[in-house]
Amino acid sequence: MVPLTSHIVINPVAAFGRYSRLLFHAFGAVAEISSYRSNVWRQMVKVGVESLPIVILAATFSGAVSTVQTSYQLVSPLIPRSIVGAIITSSMILELGAVVTGFILAGRVGARIAAELGTMRVTEQIDALETMGLNSVGYLIVPRVIAGVVMFPILYIAACFFGIGGGMLIGELGGFVPFEEFVFGAREYFQPFDPIFGIIKSLVFGFLITSISCFKGYYTQGGAEGVGRATTQAAVASCVFLLLADLLLAVVLL
Amino acid sequence: MISVSHISKSFGEKHVLRDVSVDIPEGETVAIIGRSGSGKSVLMKHLIGLMQPDAGTVTVDGIDINAITYAELRRVRRNFGVLFQGGALFDSMNSFENVAFPLRTFTDMSDADISKVVKDCLAMVELEDVGSKMPSELSGGMQKRVALARAVALQPRYIIYDEPTSGLDPETSNTIDELIRNLADRLNVTSIVVTHDMHSVLNIADRAAFIYEGRVHWTGTIEELHHSDDQILKAFVTANEYKIGPS
Amino acid sequence: MKISNEIKVGLTIIVATVIFILGIRYFEDLPLFDSTYDLVAEFENAGGLIGGNIVRVNGVSVGSVTSVYISESTGKVVVEFHVDPTIPVTEGTYATIGGFDALGVVRMDLTLGPASAERIPEGGLVDTRVTSDLMAEMTTRAPAMLTNVDSVLEELEGVMAQANAMVSTPESDIRQILSSARGSMRQIETLLADESNRIARILAHADSLTADLDAALGEDGEAVASLMDQMETTLATLNEDLERFQATNEQLDEILRKLNDGEGTLGLLLNDPSMYHRMDATLSDLNALITDFQRNPGRYLKEMNLVDLF
Ligand SMILES: Nc1ncnc2c1ncn2[C@@H]1O[C@H](COP(=O)(O)OP(=O)(O)OP(=O)(O)O)[C@@H](O)[C@H]1O
Ligand SMILES: [Mg+2]
Repeated sequence: MVPLTSHIVINPVAAFGRYSRLLFHAFGAVAEISSYRSNVWRQMVKVGVESLPIVILAATFSGAVSTVQTSYQLVSPLIPRSIVGAIITSSMILELGAVVTGFILAGRVGARIAAELGTMRVTEQIDALETMGLNSVGYLIVPRVIAGVVMFPILYIAACFFGIGGGMLIGELGGFVPFEEFVFGAREYFQPFDPIFGIIKSLVFGFLITSISCFKGYYTQGGAEGVGRATTQAAVASCVFLLLADLLLAVVLL
Repeated sequence: MISVSHISKSFGEKHVLRDVSVDIPEGETVAIIGRSGSGKSVLMKHLIGLMQPDAGTVTVDGIDINAITYAELRRVRRNFGVLFQGGALFDSMNSFENVAFPLRTFTDMSDADISKVVKDCLAMVELEDVGSKMPSELSGGMQKRVALARAVALQPRYIIYDEPTSGLDPETSNTIDELIRNLADRLNVTSIVVTHDMHSVLNIADRAAFIYEGRVHWTGTIEELHHSDDQILKAFVTANEYKIGPS
Repeated sequence: MKISNEIKVGLTIIVATVIFILGIRYFEDLPLFDSTYDLVAEFENAGGLIGGNIVRVNGVSVGSVTSVYISESTGKVVVEFHVDPTIPVTEGTYATIGGFDALGVVRMDLTLGPASAERIPEGGLVDTRVTSDLMAEMTTRAPAMLTNVDSVLEELEGVMAQANAMVSTPESDIRQILSSARGSMRQIETLLADESNRIARILAHADSLTADLDAALGEDGEAVASLMDQMETTLATLNEDLERFQATNEQLDEILRKLNDGEGTLGLLLNDPSMYHRMDATLSDLNALITDFQRNPGRYLKEMNLVDLF
């Protein structure tokens, strides 16, 4: 009974406490921009620019597949084909664009951050930074989180652009929905708040993925095995909290 | 002057340090010796606030480093250069960048000046040519020497060496020992050398503290070490001498 | 050339921001680069119109609704919208709300004023008119329509009842026709089922017979023809003979009667040898026919079979 309670209640609460403390510490270090400025650019390239190809690939295909499947399901003569455009566009902007990108980043960026910081921890590189008088949280975590928060919306925009584009393209080329009808439907149901909501969502996702992965990596213990554990946990925890945040934001903002 | 008084540290059930007190006088070289796993590295990390003691205090120049803010602690730390046991080179940077890193971060030196200092430091550890190599391309001993170059680049007042000569061949070991002694003599650096290599202890140290089962079992000058008749200390020293052969 | 991180990141962010802004304008149906022609209209009832709905002129989409809100001062519904700057929204133009609220497809229609009139300035107010939407129309007309529907349904019901009665009365023509048709069909069906084997066999038989006949006609056409000729003459002869035989018999009868009656004499009969000769020839003819028949019965039987079949 006791181990169970500690496993289910105390450990997560303790972890959340340490996570909050780390973030608090990180916010305290945001002002020391001179120490991490070049790191921010490097992390933005690693988190954002280098993730573009895989995000574009995944988004294009999910847009194309959704278009084909939606057209396949809507066979009723009462429903205009343009509705496919409306469905693809709004689901891409509201949900898929951010979530597909989120999952890719949780795996690609989250795991990399945790492995990097974990290795730095177990090989005493973080200690070395600290003993030089640097704020290791400021130096290592802040630029990664900033990169996540800034670049995730950029990736989200790319995902929407290529997702909707992929849908339009397959609709036109595959003979499912002509381009004009697709756009007509998309415009008919377009809400200017939707992309704003998507951006807010991607900001939150970017923050969650990078901060959770930094937390897991920064507190790695136990050598190479510990690094492996931290990496997996970072990817899984990022995905779980991403979904929770997704639901929460939808309930609060829509 | 660093003063460790009555610190204890345990990890869960494991008591690593029990009531440890060591004084490190200004300008002296103090060797912390003891068997593997006796808690030397843990003690070393307490000196710079990387670990907090469960009990006891650590003061640096009269400042209790566990009672000050993080910003103040960082200021205190800038007086230190630390050579970690595994080198702890930043593996995202090449050797040159590793040595240049503290200079770039904490000084306003021009790139040309930094380049000159880095070259001098690398030459000091006899590694002039490895500047462009990444840490993963270096042998363990070479990594340790680059790390040493990095530790001394800012000319700190205190240098902590965690096993500077382990994993090095005897000749390079001697060079490192000489380097440590030179730094201590010329720049009046206070050195803490964590080691189980008695040969280098006898070469460079003024004083020694022998850690045994989490306590300071013996402490004194090197002169006193030679004449001590403490059985456990003798066993440790002779085991070492036997290993390296009579000198 | 090595592109610095700053440039990579900067470029990516700039491109994405441009795509974002143009994308929103595109889906909002705003011209991507030009400024827009913003106008305002006031309605009593928005009828479900929301920001993003399209604005049409003569059925052509020319812009979209920016926002819909209730004016704090007048309490009316204010609709801000924008259209393609090339559309001549002149004085006299009025706006109506149309579409189908229940399906969420609401739009605003503009009916343009005369082309000669002055253009409504940017941000100006456009007149509005109320047209009841489809639902409202239906609601108002519903009672009348329902009566119509009701009477139609009643009539339909009568027709159906008649038809039903017709079908269910046992004596009705339809029913009889149907039942006899049903009977016939069933008979044909059973017949076909029962006879299918036999018909198949007969057809096969007929087939082989026709083939045989064909062959016979092909190979021995002349023989058969001459045979038939012969047979014909034979039969004709036989007929003549039989006639003569009859006459003879009558004569014989006469003679016998006369003999019985005592007229003439037996010597007279014996003195006439021609009759004997003629009978003899007839009998030998018949004999020859029978002999031929015995020697070659197939020829005759084939004929018989054929006759039998058809
Ligand atoms: N972060 C930690 N968590 C738990 N246990 C630790 C931690 N760091 C050190 N220990 C334990 O403390 C003990 C002393 O470790 P330490 O690294 O100080 O040994 P050492 O004297 O430096 O040995 P060596 O000469 O091999 O480096 C070891 O048993 C180790 O398992
Ligand atoms: Mg050690």
